[in-house]
Amino acid sequence: MRRRVIGSIAGVATTLFLAGCATNAPQDTWQPKGPNAQKIDNLQKPVFAVAGIIGVIVTVAIITAVIKFRDKGQPIPHQSHGNPALEITLTIIPALILTVVGVFTFRTVFDLAKTSDTEMIINVTGQQWWWEYDYPVQNEFGITQPIITSGQLVIPAGTKVLLRQTSRDVIHSYWIPALNGKRDAVPGRVHLNRIEADKPGIYAGQCTEFCGLSHANMRMEAVALSKEDFAKWVANQLKPYASPAENTLAKEGETVFMNQCTRCHQVNGMKRADGTPVIAAPDENVVSGAAPNLSHLMSRNTFAGATFDLLNKTCREDVWNADPESFGAKYLSGVSEDCLNQSDLRGWLRNAPAMKPMYANPALLASTGGKYRGMPNLGLTESDIEKLVAYLLTLK
Amino acid sequence: MFSTGSKYFFGVSVLGAVSFAVYMLLIGESAIGATALFGLVAATGLLTGLVLYTRDGDAGEEGVAASTAAPTQSMWPLIGAIGAALLLVGTITTPVVMLLGVVTLFAALIEWTVLSWSERASSDTAYNASLRKRLLNPIEFPVLAAVGLGVVIFSFSRVTLAVDKSIGATAFIAVGALVLAAGTLFSLRPNMKRGMVIGVCVIGAVALVATGIAGLGAGVREELVLAQEEGHYTHQECGAEKSEHFDKLPLEGISATASVIATVEIFEGKLVASVQGIAGEQNSITIPRSNPTNIVFHNATEGEYRLVANLGKKMVTNGVNEDVILCTQLIPQGAEQLLTLTIPKPAMAGKPYTLTVPGLAGQSIEVIVP
Repeated sequence: MRRRVIGSIAGVATTLFLAGCATNAPQDTWQPKGPNAQKIDNLQKPVFAVAGIIGVIVTVAIITAVIKFRDKGQPIPHQSHGNPALEITLTIIPALILTVVGVFTFRTVFDLAKTSDTEMIINVTGQQWWWEYDYPVQNEFGITQPIITSGQLVIPAGTKVLLRQTSRDVIHSYWIPALNGKRDAVPGRVHLNRIEADKPGIYAGQCTEFCGLSHANMRMEAVALSKEDFAKWVANQLKPYASPAENTLAKEGETVFMNQCTRCHQVNGMKRADGTPVIAAPDENVVSGAAPNLSHLMSRNTFAGATFDLLNKTCREDVWNADPESFGAKYLSGVSEDCLNQSDLRGWLRNAPAMKPMYANPALLASTGGKYRGMPNLGLTESDIEKLVAYLLTLK
Repeated sequence: MFSTGSKYFFGVSVLGAVSFAVYMLLIGESAIGATALFGLVAATGLLTGLVLYTRDGDAGEEGVAASTAAPTQSMWPLIGAIGAALLLVGTITTPVVMLLGVVTLFAALIEWTVLSWSERASSDTAYNASLRKRLLNPIEFPVLAAVGLGVVIFSFSRVTLAVDKSIGATAFIAVGALVLAAGTLFSLRPNMKRGMVIGVCVIGAVALVATGIAGLGAGVREELVLAQEEGHYTHQECGAEKSEHFDKLPLEGISATASVIATVEIFEGKLVASVQGIAGEQNSITIPRSNPTNIVFHNATEGEYRLVANLGKKMVTNGVNEDVILCTQLIPQGAEQLLTLTIPKPAMAGKPYTLTVPGLAGQSIEVIVP
């Protein structure tokens, strides 16, 4: 029995230990890839070491006391009360340790809260269950018109970026572990968060404040590009809308999109046949009042709140595993027809709530005045889906 | 078989069960009501079992002997009756009276229950009284203090709303000084007769409540009535000033600075915007759609100005559109005010959303909703 218990404990401990050795762990908090995350790492490693040593000492002391002085029928030993020297020592030592930890913690907290030296600003808005990024006009980065995107936050590497975070519905929390710590996004408030990536690459993150049904599917990716590649990305985002050529499947898809998808999704520059601009009305259909802007969708690698990849597995690995020098070119090539993750995109268009839990049952929307939380099943035909995929592929 | 305490809880439980049955049969749509009544039945049922099991807290033979003593006089049945009457009147008239009735009835039930229980706890009446105090004083004192404070605040607010602003401020200072003087006197003369202290406090409280009732009867002062009628509190007036009683000393402090996306300022007669994180003056502000967004308006120029947001048009009825305009109040030099915008859609091409200031012709800041 005793051997079995010890064996079980050892098994669990070994499993936990080995779980920490995973190589493919993009949200590993111990691998900083930027100066802000590095500051946290510089603090957390010594603190963990000190805490670990103290933990071991206390655990060993408790186990020793429990085993050595267990009840064996011996008489109750002499009971004493008070030992000023010991008590003062055991108060001063933890106080000193906490003071040292506190000084370094405060210094790090204030360093990370600094916003006066940031070079770029991006508005980050959370809602159930995706993140929106809008880039205000910043001529020094070539952003002469606001840019709006979602799922992937694109930043220039080596640039101090200030995120102005807020939320449209409930509290969310933005966290790209490789670039900085967590920061809540709270409705009605703007919280500032600074991030910076040392090198080009993709850095994964996850909403870390429980925010409802699909909280676990509310992911994000920060894409760092070299300054030259970032300029190319900006230039691409500012390209005007190009309607597909007449008599193509994509053109038919544009009509389907206009009739079905623009109730919520905006594609900047899209116009009706009579020349009037198409303005989406997510405020009339979605609780948060917003849905992802799909302009230049295929310049991103993910969709549906970064839950699914737009790239198929091969192409995705090609981008994710690229070295910093070649990463930019691979990312900027976007999603081609050959690289498109057809099955997930078609599945999403076929029945989105089946792929990601959302409050999208029309029969259960009385409490929200008929508005959805997430994307409903649009009941598209296979033919519509075929056309839509062809159209979406043109949104480069 | 049944102890005295268990009879009470059993009775409430049965009453709850009957109410639950009637509720389900006649109303039965609200899950909250059903849950509350079922909760009552379950809770009192549990208490019945507990009280039966412990035989009323092991009162034993002594307890039985004590229970033969006549109960002391109690005001709680009377207060309970008043609560029930208020509840009845409230169901017909207004929810506030009904709520007052519920609270009164609930308080009377608790007080009466604990009083009855404590009087049977032992044969020692002094001990029984201390038992009641030990249970209820920690609840009674804070509640009474809160109610007293609420009455004082409400009474005084009626007075300040009824009289002129300057008189209200003077009255506030005078009453504060009187309270301070009385407190100082009481502390300096600890041997003062208890009756005297209570008398002074009661006279002061009655005077304040009476003045409050008088203020309530007099209503609010004329300028506030006019301001209400002219819709000043809804910031409807975004053009030239016309009102006689407009509040020209608006909020000068900003309580929501953490949520500010940009600051718009009139500096030396020029309208400029600054956005945190972007260097230099901006002539446009980008804000997310469908999200309340705060902009601080700061007047650094001599004179009174307001910031006006021109947010396109909205359809009122079929074919009829009206301008969507929001604005701050007029603010004097050195003052700041917050303008909160929630814009659901981007502007139509060629018709941008703008921030302007009446009186500064030809100057505007564009508001971009991507």
